[in-house]
Amino acid sequence: MASIIKVIGNVRRIISHNNGIIGSFLKMFRHDDLKWGTLVGEDKYGNKYYENNYYFFGKNRWVSYPQSSGFDFDASEIPPEWHRWMHYMTDDPPTKVPLPQRKWMADHTMNLTGTSREYVPYSTTRPKIQSWVPPKSSD
Amino acid sequence: MATTAVLRLSGNFSQSWNSILCRHLSCGASRNVFNPENKEELSHSTSLTTVRSKSTEVAPAAPKKPYSPFQVPFKGNKAEYALARLDDLINWGRKNSIWPLTFGLACCAVEMMHFAAPRYDMDSYGVVFRASPRQANCIIVAGTLTNKMAPALRKIYDQMPSPGWVISMGSCANGGGYYHYSYAVVRGCDRVIPVDIYVPGCPPTAEALLYGVLQLRKKVKRMNTLQAWYRK
Repeated sequence: MASIIKVIGNVRRIISHNNGIIGSFLKMFRHDDLKWGTLVGEDKYGNKYYENNYYFFGKNRWVSYPQSSGFDFDASEIPPEWHRWMHYMTDDPPTKVPLPQRKWMADHTMNLTGTSREYVPYSTTRPKIQSWVPPKSSD
Repeated sequence: MATTAVLRLSGNFSQSWNSILCRHLSCGASRNVFNPENKEELSHSTSLTTVRSKSTEVAPAAPKKPYSPFQVPFKGNKAEYALARLDDLINWGRKNSIWPLTFGLACCAVEMMHFAAPRYDMDSYGVVFRASPRQANCIIVAGTLTNKMAPALRKIYDQMPSPGWVISMGSCANGGGYYHYSYAVVRGCDRVIPVDIYVPGCPPTAEALLYGVLQLRKKVKRMNTLQAWYRK
């Protein structure tokens, strides 16, 4: 009985955390997961970070990506200061203990693989080997 | 007496006022001194927030990104709109069922097995290993491709059904890697088959391979099969 009450309470909390039934459905559709927790902070890209120690270690911290990422979000959008917190390197989120900002710290850019602006590697050294040239037929 | 007191007071007051002004000026000057650094830092980044509160402050929200990469207006070109939606449907099916053929050749195959294991659960992305090229639509070339194996790889690639993708995993498959100067090794599997995604690393972690699969999913999502047919 107690477990049933617990389950009902969790469902109620999940629905209220995700802005109602429609919001929960949209959340499930986009993030494939439904949880409830406290908002720890939000970064400059609009990613929202949540924590709830009711869930097991490894599931108790999660991120909700902004609508500007659409359905193409991936974990590389998490900036380094939040990456530390997400991967349990520290328990202090950068809202409490901010990291020093170095000028070489670059902003996140989307992965441009498959687009016209993709990175194509090139060699800067002289080739040490000669590739085989297939013999052509004389006719 | 009173007048002197007033004068003194006023003198003091004016002095303090001056000092306040001076401090203000000096403060402004010091701020000017520090400004170039700040400007430099700002010019390096493209962020909209100030440097100090970079980690926590929220920039104005960007507009919502639509699901479909094909934004065709409905009015005027209804056929293209319909084909764009059909393309979306096809791509949705394809990107959620990438069935790779395991082509484990070396130690990278171990990382590929880790990718299949519960931690980096590949089944949650619809990626399921198949043992036959007839049932697969993707090859993960994991490891060193030798000259002896190259004809077999090409044959297997040719046996796959039509929309087939190739993930080249690890530096050996990307460009020979450690065995680049060996006489027995093909310097990159892209000399034999066309590669879509190169995953760097020696070996790449399971996480890196997962990221490669996510990139392949994005690539599949951009495929315009029916629209290209219609335009032709």
